[in-house]
Amino acid sequence: MNFSREDTGIETALTIEGVLDALTAPEIRPTIDSLVQEKRLSIRVDLSSLRMIDSSGVGVIVSLYKRCKAFGGVVRVDGLHGQPLAIFKLLRLDRILGE
Amino acid sequence: MGQGESIRAILPGRLEYRDLAIRLIASASKLVHAGSEDFSNEIVSAFSEALNNVIIHGAGSTVGEVEIEIELEEDRITVRLKDFGTAFDPRTAPAPDLESMPESGLGAFIIRSFTDEVTYTSGRPNTLSMTKRAARGISR
Repeated sequence: MNFSREDTGIETALTIEGVLDALTAPEIRPTIDSLVQEKRLSIRVDLSSLRMIDSSGVGVIVSLYKRCKAFGGVVRVDGLHGQPLAIFKLLRLDRILGE
Repeated sequence: MGQGESIRAILPGRLEYRDLAIRLIASASKLVHAGSEDFSNEIVSAFSEALNNVIIHGAGSTVGEVEIEIELEEDRITVRLKDFGTAFDPRTAPAPDLESMPESGLGAFIIRSFTDEVTYTSGRPNTLSMTKRAARGISR
């Protein structure tokens, strides 16, 4: 997995590529924690290059969404396709986090 | 592909081998129903969660090796995952409250939702069997 964070004003773009799963989720958690601690108000999570996600990876995204929502922030997920989209649809997350 | 062909693989029960195992399932699933992305995505997702259960929740480093057995039929794939860790039957896990957007406890739900038949036998080894049927027959 590769990920990057780019801040522009109040907007943050978080791009996650490859595989977000039980093995790789711990790598991105510190960045998630930072976004929450900094109270970033508008976060766009770009998953257009995400090939695979599991429930551990979903937990990371949902954690970000819930924690940001708690202080009034907004998290949107863009670019879902393939296996990650199937998981988000099953868990009814596509309508909440989707485009 | 002939009728009832099978593939077996034995891998260390560690997360480092997860991607390799998942690629195996993804490739095998395409032999059953080439062109169906949904079919492949769903059996891969179910297997992924099953493997997590074995490696992460099945007594950690004492799991040792896991055996993956794949049976390919005209219209279905059956994946058996055998391990020597702590038994966990995903059929017994409670359904998650999706409205509350839970951050964990989703694996068994994904397994059950994305497969047509799940059986589990605890013992030495524990054996989880997941069968998924294709909407149409083999297309190659």
